[in-house]
Amino acid sequence: MLERWNPTVKAATVLVCVILLSLEYLISLNLLVLGCCLLLVVFGSRVSIKKLGALLLPALVAAFGLFVMGLYYAKSGSGQAVDMQALSAMPYAVRAAMSQNLYTALQLATRLLAFAGLGILFALTTDSDFFIASLLHQCKLPPKFAYGILAAFHLMPGMVREYNQVRTAFAVRGLKISVFSMKPVFTMLVNSVRWSESVAMAMESKGFCGTAPRTYYTVPKVHPTDLLAAALCIGGVIAGMLFLHY
Amino acid sequence: MPAEMALQLRDVVFRYLENGKRNILDHTDLDVAAGTLTVIMGGSGCGKSTLAAVAAGLYPENGGYLQGGDIRLFGHDLKGLDPQKRAAYLTVLFQNPDLQFCMDTLRAEMRFCLENICVPACEMDKKIETAAAELQIADLLDRTLTTLSGGEKQKAALACLYLLESRCILLDECFANLDEAEAKRLLPMLIKMKAAGRTLIAIDHKADLWLDYADEFILLQEGCHIAARGINRQNLTQHRSDFDALGLFYPLVSAPCHAKGQADSAPILQFRGVSIRKGLPQKRKWKREVYNTPFLLQNADADFPAGAMTAVLGASGIGKTTTFLSVLKQHPYSGQILLQGQDIAQSKPRELYRQIGIVFQNPANQFVTQNVEDEVCVGLRLWQPDMPEDACRSKAEELLERYGLKRQRKYSPYMLSQGQQRRLAVLSVLAGGQKLLLLDEPTYGQDAKSVDAIMGHLRQKVEQEGLTVIFITHDKALAGQWADKIYHLENAALTESEEP
Repeated sequence: MLERWNPTVKAATVLVCVILLSLEYLISLNLLVLGCCLLLVVFGSRVSIKKLGALLLPALVAAFGLFVMGLYYAKSGSGQAVDMQALSAMPYAVRAAMSQNLYTALQLATRLLAFAGLGILFALTTDSDFFIASLLHQCKLPPKFAYGILAAFHLMPGMVREYNQVRTAFAVRGLKISVFSMKPVFTMLVNSVRWSESVAMAMESKGFCGTAPRTYYTVPKVHPTDLLAAALCIGGVIAGMLFLHY
Repeated sequence: MPAEMALQLRDVVFRYLENGKRNILDHTDLDVAAGTLTVIMGGSGCGKSTLAAVAAGLYPENGGYLQGGDIRLFGHDLKGLDPQKRAAYLTVLFQNPDLQFCMDTLRAEMRFCLENICVPACEMDKKIETAAAELQIADLLDRTLTTLSGGEKQKAALACLYLLESRCILLDECFANLDEAEAKRLLPMLIKMKAAGRTLIAIDHKADLWLDYADEFILLQEGCHIAARGINRQNLTQHRSDFDALGLFYPLVSAPCHAKGQADSAPILQFRGVSIRKGLPQKRKWKREVYNTPFLLQNADADFPAGAMTAVLGASGIGKTTTFLSVLKQHPYSGQILLQGQDIAQSKPRELYRQIGIVFQNPANQFVTQNVEDEVCVGLRLWQPDMPEDACRSKAEELLERYGLKRQRKYSPYMLSQGQQRRLAVLSVLAGGQKLLLLDEPTYGQDAKSVDAIMGHLRQKVEQEGLTVIFITHDKALAGQWADKIYHLENAALTESEEP
């Protein structure tokens, strides 16, 4: 279901929602957006829960980090002042938690989670080829870029393999290389440049020409349902901004 | 009326560097008649591949400078044709099967090709199905391209060219990265295309596979000048001297055997019950690695004698390279691998690499400098750190001379041709003075002269310095010619045999 949503419209919707959310500080709305996104991904697409979890976990870690940071180090005074003198007997953690900072920290952390939810919604339910095809037709992306991106994308597994081979080759030639050494990266990049040249030549040899007219096997269209879905999402966020208070 | 010419080059001058002195194509003239299968041969680095790219209009658009000359495809001036129109006349099947696709499946790639030449969407499926049925590749259509073998990828790429219906197909060493069995499976597809009226121009360094089908062989020398043409199966014997003069493989004749058969000396490397799996463990359960990949090698015993050359023969993709990686502790294995009687599991990697050197299949991966001479110097220095600069340079030059690379000593290693790169890789690793050298497909895409140079040099080192060489190859002739001992890798077993 979500997979068939026109990728360009989907991307625009996600972008607008992110901008809207960044204008407000509503914890409830942030959590609601996250919940909706996860529900949609779980029930409205064929994405495995495992994959969802794998992406959500780093987001949760980052959100926790932001929460702790906001809690202890945020500049207080953004809401009602708390009488810190009266709390001086309390441990630092409790003092911090009871201060205005808790609210700020929650705002930041939940916002990050909402962004993560929207990102996951887009990333997991969009096929790269379909997205590029949609950009070609809906955004008038020049074919040269579109097919260049596709070719590069399909070369990625090869590049990873290449990088590992280069590391092995270097080690076996008796050169010390640390994990962060740039030398194998350099060799891999030199190879990649050659690869990209070869692929470009192969594409050109197959009649690909950035400027000449071409036909398309499938032309992604924007259906009314695509726009309706977009309107529902954006409308939901705006409604939340208007009617929710915390 | 004279026969129509598929490809005409008149006085073409092409070089990579605008102000460089060396012209890769130096006033080249070449005609190829339409409807023929012509094989163009030449030594490595003579500019064959450049010739292909220039003829296809890919150069100078993608690099280099065309200084002058006139190129015509079926009578049309190449300058007036954009890639789309060019595809109707000439397309190229490249050497590297991995770098010919921009989509993820063959079906998508075929659609991409048809889109390029403006075929209406409604006709695409029918054209793809027809082509797949004709070429018998329907089973490849929906598999992810990265999972195909080299031969299958070349078939897929060829199917795309077939679909484009171009009148001439230029094959730029299309067998270079394939083993013999795979090449022989690709060949009938090519013959079918020729029968359908297409012109085929094959650039290759080996004539054997083409012998029964080619209308003409053209031999090129430096600067892409024609050294001899009009050669075919009938008059081949008269041109033996031309092949030898250019250092090319003369077909039909088995090369002299250089093996000595000292295979009875003490083994330097021993396998005892070695098992190797394809790929790495997929998951871990209770701290134990769980494998679900097939065995490449199962419970294998082998002895590789010291001071001799041993060949490991096997089809591509059967696990020869992975076995080498296990010897270098770069791939997990079970059982025991002994180097001079010592289990390599106990030795440190760095110690191990002082004794074992390896040259990989893709030599471009092992260059560590930006200059051919430095590359050899790094190899020399690594093992003799106190060698004076002058001595190092002169030693490097001497070695380069021997490998026919002296003229390129100031080049970047990445600017060399594939054949030259391999020679440089062998050279720079050998400079280290290891006792055991592993060679991964040492002769892929090389002409006879270079193969002889490398293997002859190694043979000499083996005999004079007691070097041990183990090389893996799919080339039975090469194994028969040079190896003192031959192992076959088949069905996850290493079996020793007299016959290659």
